[in-house]
Amino acid sequence: MTYWSRRLLGALTVLFFVLTLNFALFRLMPGDPVASLIDPRFSPESKEALRKAYGLDRPQAEQFLLYLKRTVTFDFGLSFISGRPVWQELRNRLPHTVALTGSALALSGLIGTFLGVTAARRRGGLLERATLTAGALSFSFPSFFLQLLLLLLLAVFWPLFPLRGSVSVPAPQGAALIADYLHHLALPVISLVLLSFGSWALYVRNLMVKILGSEPLFLARAKGLPESILLWRHAFRTALPPLLTLVLLSLPGLLSGAVITETVFSLHGVGRFLLESIQGQDYPAAGGAFYLLALVTVASNLLADAAYGMADPRIRFERERRR
Amino acid sequence: MRHRLAAVFAVILGLAASAFASVDVERLRGPKLEDLYFVIVRDTDAQLLALERGTTHLVTDLVRPADIERLSRREDVELSLTPAFHMMEMGFNLRRAPWNRLELRQAIASVVDRETIVRDLFGGYALPLETFLPPISPYYEDQVPRYGHDAERARALLAASGWNWDGSGRLVDPSGIPLKPVRLLSPLAQVSPTTAELAQRLALAVGSLGIPVSVEPLDFSSLVERLNAHDFDLFLIAWSLTRDPDSLFAFFHSSMDVKSGYNMPGLRDEAMDAILERLRFAPDETSARLAASEAQKALAELLPVIPLYSRYSVTAHRKEWTGFIASEKTTPDNGWSLLAIAPSDGSTAPFRWTLSDEPRNLNPLAAGTAYDWQILALVYESLLAIDPYDLSDRPGLAESWTLETVGEGKTVSTRLTFRLRPGLLWHDGRPLTASDVAVSLERLKALEVPRFFDAVSDLGSVTTPDGRTVVVTMNTVSFWHLHNIGGLPVFPAHILGKVEEWRNWQPATTIHGEGLTELVGSGPFIFREYRPGQYVHMTRFDGYWRLRAEP
Repeated sequence: MTYWSRRLLGALTVLFFVLTLNFALFRLMPGDPVASLIDPRFSPESKEALRKAYGLDRPQAEQFLLYLKRTVTFDFGLSFISGRPVWQELRNRLPHTVALTGSALALSGLIGTFLGVTAARRRGGLLERATLTAGALSFSFPSFFLQLLLLLLLAVFWPLFPLRGSVSVPAPQGAALIADYLHHLALPVISLVLLSFGSWALYVRNLMVKILGSEPLFLARAKGLPESILLWRHAFRTALPPLLTLVLLSLPGLLSGAVITETVFSLHGVGRFLLESIQGQDYPAAGGAFYLLALVTVASNLLADAAYGMADPRIRFERERRR
Repeated sequence: MRHRLAAVFAVILGLAASAFASVDVERLRGPKLEDLYFVIVRDTDAQLLALERGTTHLVTDLVRPADIERLSRREDVELSLTPAFHMMEMGFNLRRAPWNRLELRQAIASVVDRETIVRDLFGGYALPLETFLPPISPYYEDQVPRYGHDAERARALLAASGWNWDGSGRLVDPSGIPLKPVRLLSPLAQVSPTTAELAQRLALAVGSLGIPVSVEPLDFSSLVERLNAHDFDLFLIAWSLTRDPDSLFAFFHSSMDVKSGYNMPGLRDEAMDAILERLRFAPDETSARLAASEAQKALAELLPVIPLYSRYSVTAHRKEWTGFIASEKTTPDNGWSLLAIAPSDGSTAPFRWTLSDEPRNLNPLAAGTAYDWQILALVYESLLAIDPYDLSDRPGLAESWTLETVGEGKTVSTRLTFRLRPGLLWHDGRPLTASDVAVSLERLKALEVPRFFDAVSDLGSVTTPDGRTVVVTMNTVSFWHLHNIGGLPVFPAHILGKVEEWRNWQPATTIHGEGLTELVGSGPFIFREYRPGQYVHMTRFDGYWRLRAEP
């Protein structure tokens, strides 16, 4: 069996376990979506009618088989809360979430990496000190605090950005809609970049400091290799595999969204959907969303494996040797 | 502290006394608005910022005292405050000792300092409560036994009934057994910080009688599971009630002491059952009112739960909009206001109402949240409306109605006759007739829609002697049938008749003619667009009967 066949089989096994856990965990939680309905306008009889409508009166084995069939075919059923197809709910939200978290990840990754590399090259300098301080500060702030502060400063005192949402009320038409959307997206993205570039900068800086102090780099420098080639072609390339892994393993996070950011800026994303699905014990919605996340996580892991091999010839060589 | 309290009471008095012109709602002609937007803003701070900046025009359900005080200082914002149909209570498990001892429950009622709780936890923006309905209820009974805050009297009451205290101060029951440690079930502090704090204070108060109490914080599902399984000693719960007091039957009748029933304390008292049956099956309003009063007095004697406080409903709106309809019982965030408001400068700007959460389900047969019904209530009208000043019945789609008890012996039942207004129209221009009402009632029963299940479960027959008269015969006798049937949304027969499975109906996204979806009603506004996460857009229905009726 080849390396990739083994990895694929492993991935499918993981997915099956995730599916089973998804089903079991939500049903092991106390109560069910109907039991949590506390409203004197709903008599025990009307609650029973609701339980029947949701299919919760069927045997667990039957519910599990139905769930497996639906999930594998991406027909996640109707959300208990919204009554709409879960897939439609996710499809409505995913573009907003990916736009928000994707741009934030790309920008914070680029800024953080650039600052980290530069700080590692000029150790003890002003930039390194500034990067270390800004990096530590940026992820020390509670996100809601920074985001409300930004809203107050940049949407109220100096109204450069809108206060809420993804579009104006009413939404403009045509090309103006795209500009309006980007204008609304800017402040949430800025806030996420401010909150996360620091961890990137610190990670890259630490990685690069270690690599730049290693013997091969010391030798290369002694041989008179230009500093920029040394830095970007040798040191940074050595740092690339862990950075690639970090980026690829962040991909599931792009889908799971940012609950607090979505709340503060009134964005329609997957984060709140997940939270509300769990709180409301909306089995189809939570099951569908978690399955999708598991799928992306497993795919990202496989991608990370492949990317690691491409970025580091030693890994590729080792895999071929074992075959 | 004294200055701060004085300031709070000044604000409350100022808000409660806010002058809104009294309007005869029957003569109201509107809506004057052309466009209405429900703007979704989830974060409370963002809601306030949007209101202050004028991006939105109305914010509801203000809870935090600091927010109320902040807005009360603004010149461009008007605040309104009324008591709400909210009740927070602490319940006992009467199925087990020692909570089945009346004198113990009465003693506990006397050690709870409601005034201090309301002052400390809500900055004064809540109403200490000792009654079994909140004061806003039209059936509120003020003359009930009250226990007040008197720790000495509580101890004396216990001592007089044979209770005493051991050397460590622990309460010992009349048979000589010291009370075992008990737990008070409460929501998690992360979910409901004020209720969690309230639980700690109540545990201290009950503990002051020598009862070892600790708080057990639980997530909501676990808490409900424990209550449903009757596995608890003490619990905290909040209710959101309606104007009708027949919920007292659900809360305290012995037949409701079942799994998933709402008689969580497990009260089983024959005399109480008899009163509650008189309340639930009252043939007319007078006997309903009498039974409601009796029930509240009897409950205050039996104390299966201890009422603690009722929240206020606080709303803020921009002053550049005028015409809001409000009273001591109704804040301006109501459907009547949307018929009457207009910009004070005479322009035709759209009104932006803040929704603090998504309308998750715009299928009226499945919709469950207040946010869903905020929208749907403007699309669908009912036979009866509710008066904003005294919460009494007002004509809705029906211009008049009668309630009779007919038959004898086992066939006795309530008969409701509604006379519809002339010239009613659906949003798609078709006439609304008595047969639409009949089809609505019959389909709601046949489809077994859970939300309307209890309202139509006793439905016997519906006849339509003519295009404007509907005669509804119920299988049982109850005055509340009038509100249950009269309060149901009326659907167009030509749309509801096609719905086969209520859960799968997607009316907000199914096109029905030009610019219309299947959310076709007869209400003052037409549903136009729901942009998830952003807003709901509605426009004025020019065929609305209040716009076409004679002034």
